[in-house]
Amino acid sequence: MRVIECNGLTKVYGRAKALNNLSFTIEENKITGLIGRNGAGKSTLLKIIAGFLRETSGEIKVFSEKPFNNLMVSANVIYIDDQMNFPTALTLKEILNVCPTFYEKWNHELAGRLFDYFSFQSAHYYNDLSKGMKSTFNMIVGLCARCALTMFDEPTTGMDAAVRKDFYRALLKDYISYPRTILLSSHHLNEVEDLLEDILLLKGGREYLHMPIGELKEWAIGIQGLTGKINEWAENKEVIYTKNIGLDRTYAVVRNTLSDTEAQQAKTSGLSLTPVSSSDVCVYLTSKTKGGIDDVFSED
Amino acid sequence: MSLVKTSMLDIVINLYKYKLKAYKQVFMSLIFIQLLAVLFSFNGVGMMGSSTESIEIDVQFYSADLVITFTILWAFITAILITTSAYKNDDFAFVTNRLSSNLSNMVFLLTASIVGGITAMLSTSLMKIIMYLFGGHGHIAANLSLSEVVLGYSSTILYILLFSGLGYFIGTLVQVSRIFVAVIPGIFIGAGILGAGSRGFEWVKSIYQFIFTEPSILLFVLKVLVIVGLLFTGSIALSNRMEVR
Amino acid sequence: MILNMDGSQPIYLQIAEWLEREILNGNFGSDQKIYSQYQLAELFTINPATAAKGLTILAEENILYKKRGLGMFVSPTAKEIIINKRKNQTLKKLVLEIALEAERLDVSKEELIQMINDVNTGEAGE
Repeated sequence: MRVIECNGLTKVYGRAKALNNLSFTIEENKITGLIGRNGAGKSTLLKIIAGFLRETSGEIKVFSEKPFNNLMVSANVIYIDDQMNFPTALTLKEILNVCPTFYEKWNHELAGRLFDYFSFQSAHYYNDLSKGMKSTFNMIVGLCARCALTMFDEPTTGMDAAVRKDFYRALLKDYISYPRTILLSSHHLNEVEDLLEDILLLKGGREYLHMPIGELKEWAIGIQGLTGKINEWAENKEVIYTKNIGLDRTYAVVRNTLSDTEAQQAKTSGLSLTPVSSSDVCVYLTSKTKGGIDDVFSED
Repeated sequence: MSLVKTSMLDIVINLYKYKLKAYKQVFMSLIFIQLLAVLFSFNGVGMMGSSTESIEIDVQFYSADLVITFTILWAFITAILITTSAYKNDDFAFVTNRLSSNLSNMVFLLTASIVGGITAMLSTSLMKIIMYLFGGHGHIAANLSLSEVVLGYSSTILYILLFSGLGYFIGTLVQVSRIFVAVIPGIFIGAGILGAGSRGFEWVKSIYQFIFTEPSILLFVLKVLVIVGLLFTGSIALSNRMEVR
Repeated sequence: MILNMDGSQPIYLQIAEWLEREILNGNFGSDQKIYSQYQLAELFTINPATAAKGLTILAEENILYKKRGLGMFVSPTAKEIIINKRKNQTLKKLVLEIALEAERLDVSKEELIQMINDVNTGEAGE
């Protein structure tokens, strides 16, 4: 079953297009990573899916229904971000006790155990928590709600490394025991990529790549050698990044369409091939120029 | 994948129950404001004295009108407050849509009006007791029939509800566009100044008369309920397409 | 074991290789049930689909076989297949790398063979 279907989705703020003719579908019970630079439209997309924002044009369906102002969608979707709002008058424990009245599948026992594990105090108030602790509390709510569609927007903001690790593991464990569709947006692809099944890469409000994460790792290949040779070799290939190393050598990243023999030929002709990590591929694909920040500093 | 099915009624009831807990500071401020009003009222709202050569008559009027006025003000501000995005977003941390959020707010405001009305009237009794115990003035005129009591309570509640409805509508307007932050006070003050003398602003007076000088209690109830209904419906219509968070 | 997360090799391949090592080391005998995709996912904090892909690769190579509803089992010829595969693919690739590097460094064939011999005798001497 398709959990999210969107077709030509566009969202305009004033004159800027936050989402620009975006089309993709998300299948049931997959963990999909939503990756993109700041301002790529990740949060806007998630908020439209959650029914908070209204699309300007195009079509969006969540559980086959339009999400905006939809009670069924709201009951089956939870959206967690670092601007979560919880009532200031309730203590942390009271907030957790409110949750099961709204979320039918709420796992109260798990919530309690996570609450204790991360050493929250029942009588504390949400607004008094540090940024990282807020994120951790949000994460508990997001996990324990067990919504059919669970969305985390930069969930690890402010968390320290240990808590981040705990979060990823908790997410995975609860996903295994209770499979659901999860959308996870993050700047740290290298941290989350092992958890993901699919990746959805946004650039400028458009879908740039949507594929299993395993394929992303083989999507591009790095090649290094003498500049002249690289230029000759890469002539009819899709180059996504280049960088000069020393005086006469170049490192280039090209789309990996090489056959084994081609790779072998490259190797024997003195070029070295290296795999490119998923997060590097994403950085290269989403940067505006092929040289990255170096282009800013180059004179010509 | 099994999807949770919901009904509007369940959600509204859930939100309402949650708001009774989450908005408890609203009731705290009610207590504070009413106590303050009671305190002010002991100054007396009026005084009348006459004296002949041998007798001096000194009449002091005490009334809980101030408590009711303060409570109305409280209801008005509370209603505006819960339309602000901080409160609205609290709802959207959980399960809701705009309609259920609005409906639960309205039930909450109704509850608040009833509580505010009853406590405001009770503070009248409180004042009488205090006057009786500590005032040292002989006679307290306070004999009311049951029907008068019911009438007093219900009309107080309705006044409070009316102003909470007005506050809710104004708050929603402001949420729709910030322009109303300037426009609404402008209208009120302008109407107040101009309406006092000029004939062009007769309508302000007629609105006032339409609501507040209705001699028939049934008609009064009907009028208030219709107006409150219109204000709430207007608020729902205005906010139903609004984006949140 | 901690997976190599630097992105040099897809996780599912690392999983497959890890399982191969487990079989070679004798931690799993023939016809013994091997980890499920969910156990692997938990073990390495990876997506179950990725773990499944690792298992599928081994099943395609007949190192594992599937029993419907029961899971994956180590095939009787698993060790043999793994050893053959490693000889023909992994070792060949490594040798190619060595040969290329030797060429770049102007190391002669004889020298290279001598080096390999040294390594072997060094090991035997311990």
